[in-house]
Amino acid sequence: MATKPISLENFLKFREFFYRKTGIQFEDSKRYFVDKRLIERIEATDSGNFRNYFITLRFETTGEELQLLTNLMTVNETYFFREEYQFKSLVNSILPEITAHKKDNRPLRIWSMPSSSGEEAYSIAMYLLEYWPGINQWDVEIISSDIDTSILAKARLGKFSDRSIQNLPKNLLNKYFRHNGDDYQICDDLRNSVEFTRVNLMKPTEVRGYREFDVIFCRNLLIYFDDLSRRQAADTFFDGLNPGGFLCLGHSESMSRISSLYQVRKLADSVVYQKSREAR
Amino acid sequence: MAFIKQHITETVEQCERKQGRDCFSLELQLSDPSPSSRRWAARDLAECPNASAALVEQLQREEDRSVREIILTTLTHLGDEEAVAGLVNCLRSEDASLRNEAIEAMKLLPDEVAPIMGQLLKDADPDVRIFAVNVLESLRHKQVEEWLNEVIEHDAHVNVCATAVDLLGEVGTSYSWEALEKLKARFPDEPYIRFATDLALKRISAS
Repeated sequence: MATKPISLENFLKFREFFYRKTGIQFEDSKRYFVDKRLIERIEATDSGNFRNYFITLRFETTGEELQLLTNLMTVNETYFFREEYQFKSLVNSILPEITAHKKDNRPLRIWSMPSSSGEEAYSIAMYLLEYWPGINQWDVEIISSDIDTSILAKARLGKFSDRSIQNLPKNLLNKYFRHNGDDYQICDDLRNSVEFTRVNLMKPTEVRGYREFDVIFCRNLLIYFDDLSRRQAADTFFDGLNPGGFLCLGHSESMSRISSLYQVRKLADSVVYQKSREAR
Repeated sequence: MAFIKQHITETVEQCERKQGRDCFSLELQLSDPSPSSRRWAARDLAECPNASAALVEQLQREEDRSVREIILTTLTHLGDEEAVAGLVNCLRSEDASLRNEAIEAMKLLPDEVAPIMGQLLKDADPDVRIFAVNVLESLRHKQVEEWLNEVIEHDAHVNVCATAVDLLGEVGTSYSWEALEKLKARFPDEPYIRFATDLALKRISAS
């Protein structure tokens, strides 16, 4: 028997719950998208109706169904200059603030995590070269990490598809890439600008060396974690940052629901999270 | 100036050499004057199965919020009897932020908190009973509705019942119908109870 459509009352109830758990807010215009996926999971779990499914979602001890639904409700993709407004924040607000308070000449350190196939880390490098005059005065170290060694190998290789480069301005595409058959090969200068490392964020012994960062990008990863893992990640980033350092999350993620360690900063181009300059 | 690369593992090795990372040394480092060392010790103790007692002890005297938060994360990760007892103890603290942090931590431990929930909901202190209902707000456990019904049927304190009925407005099903009606009858002169109960009943009938 086909599942009954999701009523407005139930849509609102689900939306409020899902926002509280994940920080992802669905506009009214997304109702069709949300309802479709809810019905899909109601049927897949043999729940019969929304109410039974909602109870599973809320009270299932393992949280597996909530995680599965979260994966369905989010789009897992990466491409150059994704959520570009944060790179604008990096060059217009974050780095100027960090360099203004920096008391030594040691390199600025940026950690991009998870690396995936490298688009984010290379975007950061490109953005600094193109739009941040400070690159002429400061050394910068970009480290990009992932748990998956095969994706790291791909990132190091620097070959990208049409889809990955779709948002890049033409002049930057011509400047930093060579079109090679179906692929776009990133230039060696950029390939050499990023250090790719394998790390499991959940292993204290593995992340212990990841410290003294000025900026950490961790976008669209925490939504895939359970609550405890999110807290552990937030704690790890806190000690990974220098006092005054910044943490950039994905557009649908919010540190306020995970940890109270950070200060929320509303910058001109984005909202980011900062470790207090007084933190010890 | 340029992009440079250092080897992150070199930093790791330098850190490893600085301080012992065995469980005993880590417990000692919980009293280190540096909050950063205390945070790292608290984090690394997640891999020491018998560390809850030392962490709970430090939690009671720790003044740095950032260290406290990491101790709570590790206690949640360990989730043994001693860790849960330590969290419950925080519910009685005068420090509101410690209480709230403990509530958040307990929400992440449904299986560990479940065996003591009945007892917490009957605590002599109504504030502790309210905090226990707050824990239920996000506790992933199939008994949540049953516990809430127990509260609204039997708890004598109007504020405890009000907190529980608010939550039933969200999670209640037809199973709670009778208990909700009884609650209205128990507090006929409390307009908020009447309002929240009617709202919960309306939501249940609509779903």
